[in-house]
Amino acid sequence: MYLGALDKRGSSVSKLLSLLSFFLIFSSCVKKNTSGDFGLEKSKTLRMRLTGEPPTLDWHKASDTESSLITSNIMEGLVVYSYTSDGVGVSPALAESWESLESARVWDFTIRKGVVWSDGEPFEPQHIIDGWERLLNPKTASQYAYFLYSIKNARAYNEGKIKDFSKVGITLQGHKLRVELNHPLFFPYLLTHSSTFPVRKDIVERFQEKWTEPENIVTLGPYSMTKWIHDQAIVVKRNPTYFGSPARTENVIFYVIQEHQTAINLFEMGKIDVIRTLPPKDLPALRKLKEYYTYPSLSTYYYGFNTEIPPTNNKDFRKALIHAVDRQQIIKILQGDHKPLTGWIPHGMFGHNSDAGLAYDPVRAKSYLKKAGFDEVNSPPKIELSFNTLEAHKTIAENIQSQIKENLGIQVEIKNEEWKVYLESLKVRPTHLYRMGWVADYPDPNNFFEIMLSYSENNRTKWKNKEFDRLVEDAAGLVEDKVKRLELYNKAHEILVTEEAPVFPIYTRVEQHLISTRVISFPTNVMVEFRLKNTSLQ
Amino acid sequence: MTNINGLFDKIAKTLWVGLGCLILWAIALNLTNYYVPQILMISIAVLFLVSFGFYAFSIGAIVYCFKRLAEAFVTIFVITTLTFMLLRLMPGGPFDQEKALPPEIKANIEAKYGLDKPVLVQYFDYLKKVAVFDFGTSYKYIGRSVGDMILQNFTASFILGFYAFVLSFLIGIPIGLFAASRHNTFWDNIAMAISISGVALPNFLIGSVLIVIFSYQLNWFPPALWDSSLHYVLPVVTLGIRPAAFIARLTRSTVLDVIKADFVRTAKAKGLSQFTILYKHVLKNSLIPVLTYSGPLLAGILSGSFVIEILFAVPGVGKDLVQSVTNRDYPLILGLTLLYSILLVLSNLIVDLLYSFFDPRIG
Repeated sequence: MYLGALDKRGSSVSKLLSLLSFFLIFSSCVKKNTSGDFGLEKSKTLRMRLTGEPPTLDWHKASDTESSLITSNIMEGLVVYSYTSDGVGVSPALAESWESLESARVWDFTIRKGVVWSDGEPFEPQHIIDGWERLLNPKTASQYAYFLYSIKNARAYNEGKIKDFSKVGITLQGHKLRVELNHPLFFPYLLTHSSTFPVRKDIVERFQEKWTEPENIVTLGPYSMTKWIHDQAIVVKRNPTYFGSPARTENVIFYVIQEHQTAINLFEMGKIDVIRTLPPKDLPALRKLKEYYTYPSLSTYYYGFNTEIPPTNNKDFRKALIHAVDRQQIIKILQGDHKPLTGWIPHGMFGHNSDAGLAYDPVRAKSYLKKAGFDEVNSPPKIELSFNTLEAHKTIAENIQSQIKENLGIQVEIKNEEWKVYLESLKVRPTHLYRMGWVADYPDPNNFFEIMLSYSENNRTKWKNKEFDRLVEDAAGLVEDKVKRLELYNKAHEILVTEEAPVFPIYTRVEQHLISTRVISFPTNVMVEFRLKNTSLQ
Repeated sequence: MTNINGLFDKIAKTLWVGLGCLILWAIALNLTNYYVPQILMISIAVLFLVSFGFYAFSIGAIVYCFKRLAEAFVTIFVITTLTFMLLRLMPGGPFDQEKALPPEIKANIEAKYGLDKPVLVQYFDYLKKVAVFDFGTSYKYIGRSVGDMILQNFTASFILGFYAFVLSFLIGIPIGLFAASRHNTFWDNIAMAISISGVALPNFLIGSVLIVIFSYQLNWFPPALWDSSLHYVLPVVTLGIRPAAFIARLTRSTVLDVIKADFVRTAKAKGLSQFTILYKHVLKNSLIPVLTYSGPLLAGILSGSFVIEILFAVPGVGKDLVQSVTNRDYPLILGLTLLYSILLVLSNLIVDLLYSFFDPRIG
């Protein structure tokens, strides 16, 4: 309208001014809140760093640590982890109690009453079934659908072979939920994972892909989300209707800060309180700070061998390489206080065996090399070692390269690739030695041993051993007989890391954080899980 | 015809003034931490296009514009096609990860995103969607529409880029003129030494030094995050320094050429002041190379800078472009490539039209 007027009259200053005043009136009322930290009181607000924008807050689709940091604080499942001196257990959350039947093949849960969602609607046991149906529905395309594959017919439902969800081994009677599994398993561990949380189907159906936006999302955890400014910050505040003990700190802000140095700058200036990941190159300086905090996590850093190509198809050759590397040297260079690991199960987990595996022993390394058929006359060929491009991986690879050269005289060619290219290469043709890692999905040795099963997608070594497979499968079912279970795992350990050695475990990762002195009782645990409700501020 | 052109020229000029006022108003709101209303941004965009249309008409370049736009359409189509195909040739897929997925789960995911179809079918599906401005949903940021993501993050990149662009001209041109007017003196050498450093020093170094001085030592500006206009200062300066230095060098060298021209001698003979000669006559005639440079500069600077966005935690599209490739987030890569192509084509077209404003001999 104004433009038309302008066309007709030429330069009309008064029209322009009226246009401007129009905007003045309509825009001057909305001023941004720029008082910092979204205007929240500093003494009541914990400020944490996220290393990136959470890919999704849909807990059935999330598969990364940043997303689960948020979802595990705004939602809760049937059980939660409890950390005791002798390991990790579970304690009640939405399930009041549970019992196992048929040697842990069937599990009965009694669901808590009187729980309400953040919109005031009562929580019903059906919401759990809705959540599991959604997780397993092929249309959801959830990466973590396999978490419930142990339930009878769950896999078939996820594959689309069964269309009727009532055929899946889940039954509900009042507040009693019964789960029937394919084989015995300590099922409650799986229910701590955010992919198994209940969901409000009505909300998901109503808002579709936008149901996780703060104005739509409905949750029942200790916190509820009030803001999600994409790529910048997420704000959560204490949920007054939460069924458990209320969160001690009123607000938590999660700032998205990708660059480590930027996060450290903000930390040093008192703008954020917690940094969970630190750059390896800065550790020598940071470890001197009083805010520096470390603890081991249930994870393994290892190298795998391609057991299909010579010379790493020869187990004596593999053992020679492992014996030739001193893990302590690597740990010293990294400066992160990681714990050397010869066995397959990380420190701090049931089944960990510090006697298992092959320790540093250059003399034995040479004798194994000879046994593999190599000596001064028949010198071993050059081998290839690969890793995905990252400074810390490079440091480790170069150290291994020099130790093998020094102790065995073998040339190791190192090769790095961008992450996705690397994963593709591992699928097609892994190099003789390749870097990998594993972080526990749940605190049970089965989660580590199963990745080396002959048929596992994660076993990129191409190594197959029927005896090992049988031991691991049998041990998984022995939920109630810990002694027998440990015995089987020790045997599996023996085959995997001592006799056959298709993998070369290096260390259990130690987490490094910076935690401001104003934060009291920040939750640190072996599962690297941050349930913030018990955190308080000075 | 001349009359009509003259009338259009008049209208265009009026519209320019209006546009300038609106832009200044938007800047004022933005810098004083008010939300810039969407309607204001839309008005600016519309007014910009309309006044450019009138301007193009007044210089008789409207047919040329349409021809260029048609060419641009073909260019963008080719870019999109090439990007689409190259992405499929790139090793590693969007859903490859450390914890390998069971095949049935991978199949579900691929079916959801249509990745199980033949590439050509995927390509035509994509074209059909793009034709109605649907850029699909991100693979990495599950469920988020690529269009929304780009719109949201482009805002930050645009603010950052716009101020840096303006700053680079405000610093670059006076320094260039100053150096040229004191050719081969101590001041010329100083100005050029500074501008060479500006071109040579990497962004992350300049940014880090600015953070140490202005955040750590003086505590004037926040070291990172994207909130109030105070947060803009350090990233804008860091982003603006390199083009400013380049513009200074470019201005200096052209001014040195122009200064030798006959009309400058005439102006001097007429007794005009040094200032008038430089700013009124020499500058306008020296701006052509700067203008040529500013086309790609504008597109580049508006589409975000990875280093600066990462260093200052700015939620922009520069880092999205780099990270979407790392993540093999095909829809996001395509969306951003499209955005960059459009920006580049448009800014080059604008620059080409502006030539005749600075030098009427270019028709």
